[in-house]
Amino acid sequence: MPTKKNSEPKKPAQENLHQKIKKLEEELQKIQQEVTEKNDKYLRTLADYQNYQKRMEKERLNHEDELRKKYLSEFLDLQDLLKKASEDVNPQEGLKLIINNLDKFFEKEGVKYIECKGKPFDYLVHHAISTVEQDDCVEGTVVDEIKKGYMVGEKILRPSQVIVTKKKETTHGGVQNE
Amino acid sequence: MSKIIGIDLGTTNSEAAYVEAGKPVIIKSAEGQPYFPSVVAFTKTGEMLVGEAAKRQAVTNPDGTMQRIKRKMGTNEKVKLRGKTYTPQQISAFILQKIKKDAEEFLGEKITEAVITVPAYFNDDQRQATKDAGAIAGFNVKRIINEPTAAALAYGLDKEGDHKIAVYDFGGGTLDVTIMEVGGGVFEVLATSGDTQLGGSDMDQALVDYFANEFKKQHGIDLRKDPKTLQRILEAAETAKIELSSMLQTDINLPYITVVNGDPKHLELKLTRAKLEEIIAPIVARSEHPCRQALQDAKLKPEDIDHVVLVGGVTRMQMVQKKVEEIFHQKPKREVDPMECVAIGAAIQAGVLSGDIDKDIVLLDVTPLTLSVETLGGVATSLIDRNTTVPTKKGKIFSTAADNQTSVEINVLQGERPMAADNKSLGRFHLDGILPAPRGIPQIEVSFDIDVNGILNVAAKDLGTGKEQSIRITGSTKLSDSEIERMKKEAKEHEEEDKKRKEKIEIRNNADVLVHSTEKTLQDLKDKFSTEDKEAIENALKDLRAALTGDNTDEIKAKSEALTQALQKASTTIYQQAAQQYQQPGQPQGSDDAWKGHPSDDGSTYDADYKVKDDKKKKSDEE
Repeated sequence: MPTKKNSEPKKPAQENLHQKIKKLEEELQKIQQEVTEKNDKYLRTLADYQNYQKRMEKERLNHEDELRKKYLSEFLDLQDLLKKASEDVNPQEGLKLIINNLDKFFEKEGVKYIECKGKPFDYLVHHAISTVEQDDCVEGTVVDEIKKGYMVGEKILRPSQVIVTKKKETTHGGVQNE
Repeated sequence: MSKIIGIDLGTTNSEAAYVEAGKPVIIKSAEGQPYFPSVVAFTKTGEMLVGEAAKRQAVTNPDGTMQRIKRKMGTNEKVKLRGKTYTPQQISAFILQKIKKDAEEFLGEKITEAVITVPAYFNDDQRQATKDAGAIAGFNVKRIINEPTAAALAYGLDKEGDHKIAVYDFGGGTLDVTIMEVGGGVFEVLATSGDTQLGGSDMDQALVDYFANEFKKQHGIDLRKDPKTLQRILEAAETAKIELSSMLQTDINLPYITVVNGDPKHLELKLTRAKLEEIIAPIVARSEHPCRQALQDAKLKPEDIDHVVLVGGVTRMQMVQKKVEEIFHQKPKREVDPMECVAIGAAIQAGVLSGDIDKDIVLLDVTPLTLSVETLGGVATSLIDRNTTVPTKKGKIFSTAADNQTSVEINVLQGERPMAADNKSLGRFHLDGILPAPRGIPQIEVSFDIDVNGILNVAAKDLGTGKEQSIRITGSTKLSDSEIERMKKEAKEHEEEDKKRKEKIEIRNNADVLVHSTEKTLQDLKDKFSTEDKEAIENALKDLRAALTGDNTDEIKAKSEALTQALQKASTTIYQQAAQQYQQPGQPQGSDDAWKGHPSDDGSTYDADYKVKDDKKKKSDEE
């Protein structure tokens, strides 16, 4: 460890050490400042990000509201028309047109009906609610539709709720096939 | 470091979450849902299905589908699916694998580490089995933590001092009650109790029975016999249960539910919350005994419990909350989504392990109240909104309100009220030496910079001269809670009147601007207007000036509109004349300076300014 010896003339080695310490101290100071700056920058970026998240959330809610408005106004139109139809003595004609309009609306929105009756059960688009045992059937065929299913674009809006055939079983053994 | 995710491996559904920038986020399944059904199936063709797809086909494939595997964890029981045997660990691993895959898809990065939760009553074998399941799925399981501990973590209850917590977890199929003690961030389970045969599905069933019995009374038909109608009333029961969490009454209308002798029948019922509570009361009451048992085992009285945390969808029901309050003599915590609570807590634990949550650094302050500056008419114009995370810097450009104004005062305000005088002034200073110029021309940039220590630096800079002044305000983010609450309350109370006052000022400010711009227009276009139009404008201007000396906002508004109309009429005449002149080639276009500052799109006007702009435009086009 270098110690202060003022009385003695400084030796070159000591001089070197002092210079080295000074240089290191300067470097340390520089690095410390850099760390402070970097840390500040990091915190600001993080705060920016969190504020961005808040803004996005707000925008998302706004966007949701806009979407809701769009669909709600469609429903309001439908309500008006259905009320008129309910007051009509012979509503058949009117209802036909209302349904036609609705079909068109869904078509425009890219909503597509999922075929199911008579088709093989498909877990990707069908949801089996129950099974029905049948003697003479192809197992795993949709025999009944409880609720219609729809796709919107490539995504499932909701799966069809279906009833699926099952072969009648006489024994309980050996049902598990390899 | 890569992300560690938190997984709530549940009996019927599993959830997963991770920490992003210090905040827990729920991971969505590939099917777009915030949960993963804990169902595994093998189809006849040998294909493996996990989650939603497995759930959808479950009834068609009972021999190939496994549900509620969690109940077998830690046992030696084997599961036979389509002729192959699996250990419970393997089945659980399939669920975890699906979560891993979907999480990787969701996050766009490889996930190899996880924190998984288990019930507090799980023994060592069950915990080891869960850990093994994680390993089989390809996870390095960093930690297995108790579900109630995770729920408490989601509420940040580890950060408070020594205290006792009760976690009431009422899910779809089971009830778990846990009493824990927390000290120094360590959780110790004092007692657990529960009922493995009690859950939300019992409530749905009770409701379905009620609907079906009511219908049977009326029409003599049991809707439960037909899977088609059963499904519809089951869905109606679930909806009604959710609706009555927020409403006092709901209508259950199921048109065309069935046909009796060729006659369509509809199910029409009114269900009040009181009736619903009567129906589910016996089920809710069954949750009381496990709570009392747990308290007794922990040798505690309800008063000894410092916090009660609610977990599970059923706890959204007010009746359940009331029951819990009655048992533990205090209002339970329910701010965190009770369905996501455990996964969020697991994610927080994961975040601490991965360093994504570092209590010293990542917990950034937010501004408790809006920071603004006073502008023309005493309006508070906000720069940093309430609830903004700091450190942050925001700036806005302002200008002068009067011609030849050489100094502006920056009054820094804090509060939610739109008028400056109603907010707290944190400090004020002047920026002098602005060059004399017409109002609205000088550009003064005002910036607010809050550093990490909450110190607010406000600077004002004249962009024309480069002159700058600033002020440092400490403690802008450090307000007592009561002070913040008071200021927010005041803002709410005065919302209407404040809005009116602000509107009043805005109308006045706009009128003021209109007066100035009209004066300028009259000056610039004095030779263009017809005497008649000019007179109309001057009269309207006089009226508006007179109105501005008074305090009648409606009057100012009306006179502003009148002046705007007079101006529009006059300018229409000018444009019409110009159009007529155009049709006669060779006609002089009038004085050049009349067009200064209003370059036309037509290249034929002789305007020096315009040509310069055109040259520049051409140049940039060529580049």
